[in-house]
Amino acid sequence: MNRYEFEDLISDYIENSLTLSKRKEFENYLTEDPEAQSLVDQVSYNIDQLKNIQKVKVSDHFNDYLMKRIKNEQSKHRLNPVPNQKRFLGFSPLYASLMTGFTIAFFIVGIQLFAPDKDTSISQNRFYANNPPTLSSPTIAKSNPKSQELAEAAEDSVDQKSIKSPKKDYTKQIQLVKD
Amino acid sequence: MRQNSSNLLAMSLDKQDSSFVYTDEQLIARFQTGDEQAYVELVNRYRDRLMNFVFQFLGDMEQSEDVVQDTMLKLFEKKHYYREIAKFSTWIYTIARNLANTELRKRKRRKVTVLSQMTRDEREYELPAIQPETGQEVQNKYTAKRIQIAIHALPEHFKTVIILRDIQELSYDDISSIVGVPLGTVKSRINRARLQLQADLKDLR
Repeated sequence: MNRYEFEDLISDYIENSLTLSKRKEFENYLTEDPEAQSLVDQVSYNIDQLKNIQKVKVSDHFNDYLMKRIKNEQSKHRLNPVPNQKRFLGFSPLYASLMTGFTIAFFIVGIQLFAPDKDTSISQNRFYANNPPTLSSPTIAKSNPKSQELAEAAEDSVDQKSIKSPKKDYTKQIQLVKD
Repeated sequence: MRQNSSNLLAMSLDKQDSSFVYTDEQLIARFQTGDEQAYVELVNRYRDRLMNFVFQFLGDMEQSEDVVQDTMLKLFEKKHYYREIAKFSTWIYTIARNLANTELRKRKRRKVTVLSQMTRDEREYELPAIQPETGQEVQNKYTAKRIQIAIHALPEHFKTVIILRDIQELSYDDISSIVGVPLGTVKSRINRARLQLQADLKDLR
């Protein structure tokens, strides 16, 4: 056992909470080192002194004064009663409605911020900021892929209509073959 | 029915020797159901114990009594906060300790300049007057004063545990609950605090 281990076990030794083997080891250390024995005696003496330290008591009028304070507190509460109103999840109606309003607002703002169209609109705004559009400018058509697509789709539909030929009557050309 | 039980309790409280009939936990349970006699009994049981405890922190009789009063007032007002998962004693000691710490913090803010200008003698605590003072009593008073100074010089986390263990004689488990640290830490702190006290009080024997 070294010095640190010895010091750690002083309280346990004094309070008889060491195991038998540890206690023997501790006592061997004490016999080897008289200074250690003196330290243990001193700590033990101090504990006794602390236990027997002069006790202080409350004054005689402690209870009377306490009862007066309690009555004062009670009368204060009677003068300023806490309104007995309904509570929603621990909130008063006013705070509950405010909280609901804030939650809804937060939800809406959140949806607006993370909406999928957000990137497109920002990039379009940036584009228009850098290239202000003019009436003659083809950029409008170019920059608006939707309108271009619509125009192309319209053209396609016209072409398809023109391509479509009138239905031919093949009934006369059909010949039934006898077996 | 409640009236009957209240009367019975009041009768039992009147008799000095039967006050141990109810445990602290039973008394607080009764108080929670509106029995104020149970409250009076709890106050009677704990006022001096708490006074001793708080006095070791503050070293001033009047302030200590005020803190004990506040503790009892809090017990009255917050009785429903107590749940029987912990011992009543640990709960009430925790309240007293927190209030004493608050008072110490206030005092530090108030008197930081004044204390620094005080002499060592002025800083020492005043003990209640003892009459008449015999030689032994003078010696006891001196010893108590020295011990208080040594305790006061301890770091905060050592001071609390040593007061609770060696002066209030609480169990390690109770101390662990009051200060909110593991049992091993409490034991270690108490041992270290005792060694530090030994160093400060070497010449006391």
